[in-house]
Amino acid sequence: MILYTPLSETDIFPTSEDTYNKRCCVTHNGKMLYVEETSSGSYELLQLLSTDPHDFMDATFNPGTTFKG
Amino acid sequence: MDENKGLQNKDEREEKEEENQPKSSSLVEKIQQLGQTNVPQAPDSNIHVLSIIGQIEGHVQLPPQNKTTKYEHVLPQLIAIEQNPKIEGLVIILNTVGGDVEAGLALSEMIASISKPTVSIVLGGGHSIGVPIAVASDYSFIVPTATMTIHPIRLTGLVIGVPQTFEYLDKMQERVIQFVVSHSNIKEEKFKELMFAKGNLTRDIGTNVVGEDAVEYGLIDEVGGVKNAMKKVNQFIDENQTGQKGVIQ
Repeated sequence: MILYTPLSETDIFPTSEDTYNKRCCVTHNGKMLYVEETSSGSYELLQLLSTDPHDFMDATFNPGTTFKG
Repeated sequence: MDENKGLQNKDEREEKEEENQPKSSSLVEKIQQLGQTNVPQAPDSNIHVLSIIGQIEGHVQLPPQNKTTKYEHVLPQLIAIEQNPKIEGLVIILNTVGGDVEAGLALSEMIASISKPTVSIVLGGGHSIGVPIAVASDYSFIVPTATMTIHPIRLTGLVIGVPQTFEYLDKMQERVIQFVVSHSNIKEEKFKELMFAKGNLTRDIGTNVVGEDAVEYGLIDEVGGVKNAMKKVNQFIDENQTGQKGVIQ
């Protein structure tokens, strides 16, 4: 199928509500984390929300780290 | 006998391998996550870093495949920076394609009204609403390869009340222009000329300004990277401290 349109792909094929609901902001060890729930029930770290550059040096907050729910 | 000994050795080897496994598997996990194994530790930093990456997300939640900076996350961080006496300076790292105008203007106003020294670096791109955010800081840098797209604001989706919406958008654009003009050295005529230029962008009117040109137009203060930005923010911090001492005396 070829679409010829100025609209973006997501305007034509909207993302399901579930993908939004799986993502949330949590606080873990005093740090704000943006996480996504995985199919196994644990949480995968998407983004560490901090302005302190040293927080990003902490290997426990690397993006992709999984936390038990 | 020999056979038994051989088996025993094999068992021992297996045990050793098992012992090593958890360590190596966690290492593999780390490499899979970010391609890095460990990072050096350093003392507390008096300069905080705010990275504004991807799209500026405002009132509408963007699909998950978009990388976004959500203003509801950034605004409290800026307040925390303002309140924390240990934080003496702020470096803003920009690599954004633009996004929600009101969210971007909110961030810009927040950055502009912070009492602590702020320095911004445009890396890669600081497009659309990234322009007011970049100029909101006390001093702005752009790396030579970075670009900034200046174009009129746009609206997608359903419009109810076309004349009113048009007027509203016109005013909103004026707010963006006024903010950029009052926080940088660019002249209003020049900024508007860049914004409404034809033939530069494939699907839009506007201009894509590259690093050195942005400095030439007065939009950005200087061409430079991390080194220059850190030097500048430290210089501002020193000036602040000597100024405060002067007041006490």
